[in-house]
Formats: sequence, C-alpha cells, structure tokens
Amino acid sequence: MQGSNRLEKALAEAGIEYRPTEFPNTGLHCSLSLGPDLVRPLATALRSNGFFIETVTAVDLLQENRFEGIYLFNHYDDPLRLLVRVPVERSRPVLPSIGGIFPGAVWHERETAEMFGITFQDCPDSRNLLLPEDADYHPLRKDFTGRS
Amino acid sequence: MSMAAPLTYTLEKRDNDNFTLNLGPQHPGTHGVLRVVLQMDGEYILHADPVLGYGHRMQEKIAENMTYLQCLPYVCRMDYLGAMSYNLAWVCAVERLCGFEVPERAEHIRVIATELNRMASHLLWWGAYLLDLGAFTPFLQAFTDREQILDILEYLTGSRLTYCYFRFGGLPDEVDDVFLERTMSFVNGFRKRLKNYHDLVTGNVIFHHRSKDVGVILPFDAAAYGLTGPILRGSGFAYDVRKQEPYAAYERFDFIVPTETSGDCLARYNVRMEEFVQSMNIIEQAVNTIPEGPVRSKVPKTIKPPRGEVAMAVETPRGELVIYIVSDGSKKPYRVKFRVPSFANLSVFARLARGQLLADALAILGSLDMVIPEVDR
Repeated sequence: MQGSNRLEKALAEAGIEYRPTEFPNTGLHCSLSLGPDLVRPLATALRSNGFFIETVTAVDLLQENRFEGIYLFNHYDDPLRLLVRVPVERSRPVLPSIGGIFPGAVWHERETAEMFGITFQDCPDSRNLLLPEDADYHPLRKDFTGRS
Repeated sequence: MSMAAPLTYTLEKRDNDNFTLNLGPQHPGTHGVLRVVLQMDGEYILHADPVLGYGHRMQEKIAENMTYLQCLPYVCRMDYLGAMSYNLAWVCAVERLCGFEVPERAEHIRVIATELNRMASHLLWWGAYLLDLGAFTPFLQAFTDREQILDILEYLTGSRLTYCYFRFGGLPDEVDDVFLERTMSFVNGFRKRLKNYHDLVTGNVIFHHRSKDVGVILPFDAAAYGLTGPILRGSGFAYDVRKQEPYAAYERFDFIVPTETSGDCLARYNVRMEEFVQSMNIIEQAVNTIPEGPVRSKVPKTIKPPRGEVAMAVETPRGELVIYIVSDGSKKPYRVKFRVPSFANLSVFARLARGQLLADALAILGSLDMVIPEVDR
C-alpha cells in the first residue's frame, strides 16, 4: 500500500487525518471536509508530494444556505483521487485561492467565481473566464432561472 | 552630407516595435472559436492571454435541468471528435451511481468503439497539426483513413460524429459480425498505412526543425497545471486512466502506455503515433476474445439514483475527463461538473507561448490538440 502512504504523508504534513473512502462506489479514494484556512496548507503539502490539480468547483446547497467549494486532486503515479469539500456561508462566499500553489487552478477558480459568485481570496486573476466580461449574474446558483 | 539609411530600414530594435496582436476568434490555427490576445515584440510573443467562452453553452446548468437519460445525447456535444469517450463516461458515471451491472459482451463492444473513436480523433489531429506546420498532403491521407472509421462507426451507431450509442447497463442492440469483420479489416489495413505515415512525416527534417525543442512542458509544470493525456505522457509521466483506474473492460487487455521524456511537440507527436498501435492492439484483443451473451442488463425504466456523489474518470483522446455528479435522489442530477481535459491543457499555453515565435506558438497550439467547444462547454 505504497500509494495511500503518499496521501497519508501529504495529509499529515497539513495536520489532517487520513480516512479512505470506498473507491468502487464513488470513484474517490478519499473525501474530506475542511475549513477554509486549511486549504492552502493542504495544497502546499499536496504540491510537494507530487499531486496534480484536477479541478476546482462548487455546489450550491440552497436549502442549507451554504456553498460547498470542491477541490479535486489526483496523483500521476498512483490512483489517489482526493476530494476536498469546503463549506462556506451563502451570504459571505469567500474561499482561499490556491492559484499561487497550482497555477492551473486559476482558470478553474475564475470559472467557479463567475458561475457561483464566490470570491477567491488572492486569486491572481479575477476576470470572467467563460461568461461575457460584463456579466454580473451567476448561472450555476440554484436560484438563477435565466429570467430577468 | 551623410547618407544615413532611412529609419524605416533599420534593424535596430526600438520601443514602439511592441504591439498587440489579436489572434482569432476566427482563425484556422486556433481550431475553433478561440481568441488569444498576444503582446508581441516583433515576431516574438511576450505575453499570451487566451480569451474563452465564445462557444459557451452552460452545459452544466442544462444537465441539472434534464433527467439522466435526457442528458445522454447532450454530453457528446462537448468533444465532438472523441464523443464516444464522453458517451462512455456518462453511462459509466450513472452506472456507478446506481450500481448497475454491465454484461461482458457489451463492455468489449464499448472498448472497441471507444478505441476506434480515439484513432479517428488522433487521425484528425495528425492531419490538422501538420497542416498547421504547412504540410497539406498528410491532411488528405489522414482523412481518407478517418473516413473509414467514421463509416464503421456509422454502421454501428447510426451517426458519424456525435454518437449516442451506449445505454445505461449496456448497449441498445445486439452487434452483428459485420461490424467486427469491418473493424478487423480496417485494423489490418491501417497497420500497413501507419508505416506510410511514418515514411511521409516522422523522419522528415523540416518537420523535426519545426517540432523538436518547441513548446517544452517541464514535468514540474505538468502537475501544477493538471495536464493529462498524450501531452502529459510526452513529458515522461505514464499516467493513463485506462491503466490507473480501469473502467469498461480495459484491465482485461494487454497494452502499454507510451511515454516520451523530452516534453516538446515532437514528443507529443511520437506519443500519439504510438497510441495508434496500442489502440489497434486493444481492438484486436477485444475482437478476438469477445464473449457471446446478452448486451444489456436489466435496468429500471426511470433512472432514480440514491443520494450521494460519484466521480467517474475516463481517458478521452485528449486526456482525463472526470464527471462529478451530486445526486439528491431525484430523477435529475443536483449538480454535474465536467472536468474536461482540453480546459486544463489549454491553461498551460500562455506559459509555453512566452518568448516563442508566432508561427511556433501556432504549432504548439496544434500539438496540444484542443477542442474548443470542450473547453467552453
């Protein structure tokens, strides 16, 4: 089980306990729920242990009045898909940017920011990516209907 | 009286030589509606800023408003060159979410169809990339062979490009021997023609000058940008979802993951050329060992998965596609995220283009094998 050791080591560096999930049912090897302040230390640890960034996105949980920031990482040598879930208040949606650690995350964060109206703190680029540059609506929010 | 040359003829570099060049959105070199704003110093690129979204359709929101079955034909509209992989990813994701079984025969057909599609996609890339470099003949050669694959897949699925063929739990219908015979006769013929491809292009000196040491992706950058697919394998990582997290029946077949270490356009070229051979090996094994039996398991008419989340990764011709579905137990997905390979692969372009000649930047863009509707979704 050399593979999971990599993940265990990276998580230990960020001070997080490792709990595997059942891969065949979910496609994930580990699923975590973290506070926003732990995201950057974890990303730094993952970066130095050879993990790559798969995507950054979010889920709008309208009924529970919060967003969940979703970060997906994986490793090139071992299948170790890691899902990090970061709940934030819907009224004050701010997530830490990991664009300084994984430059490839910037585009994913720009997309998430425009689609959900989530601010990524210290993101090197905060322009809209896929939507028009003057778009001020957030289509992937559950209360967005497309009607004005 | 001095006879100085007029200023316009001087080769001396001056500050106002810098200018902004708008490449696209309608430009043959960008392979789709992609715009790149370039800061130029003469013919060298100082800074490249890709502008996306010209083909944005908000597919993730559309998927939220459809049932799982209604979404099936729509996912293939993202990557229209590797549509079979998207089709496969969606059915596999829903099967994983609901716990459906798939009969062995159906899995074999799925692998054959997907690998044929991968070859068709690589053929188009081969032709278009060399067209970017100024060679016209390879394009015609590649399209002749690609046409044969499209004919076979049309016979199988009824459509030529945006397939909607797989079903939850298997295939729509029994597959006849004509399809398998045609596939094998194509594979046997293509093995010979692939040699012609190598004779025509691979050893060509001009081609080497245009692709060797151009657009080098360092292994360190690969993880930072989340690169996957042939682009990554050109930089020395043997990462292939078909090996790492086998889906369909890939763990039953014997194939290698070709890699190169130089990370330049030539490395990416060599990786894709070797992938033709590996795809043919997989197809041959799949056809030779195909079992008899049903092609579809029993699944409920209405797909109503349990609450939960699922991530399904598939190796498309361009890299790793991850479909992440959050289900709230209703007939429609609560949230769908398509993590598309071209999006991550294009994000490294700004870094690669810095300091390159404009003509080389277009060659790099070609070697990344982008499908812009997939980037924009």
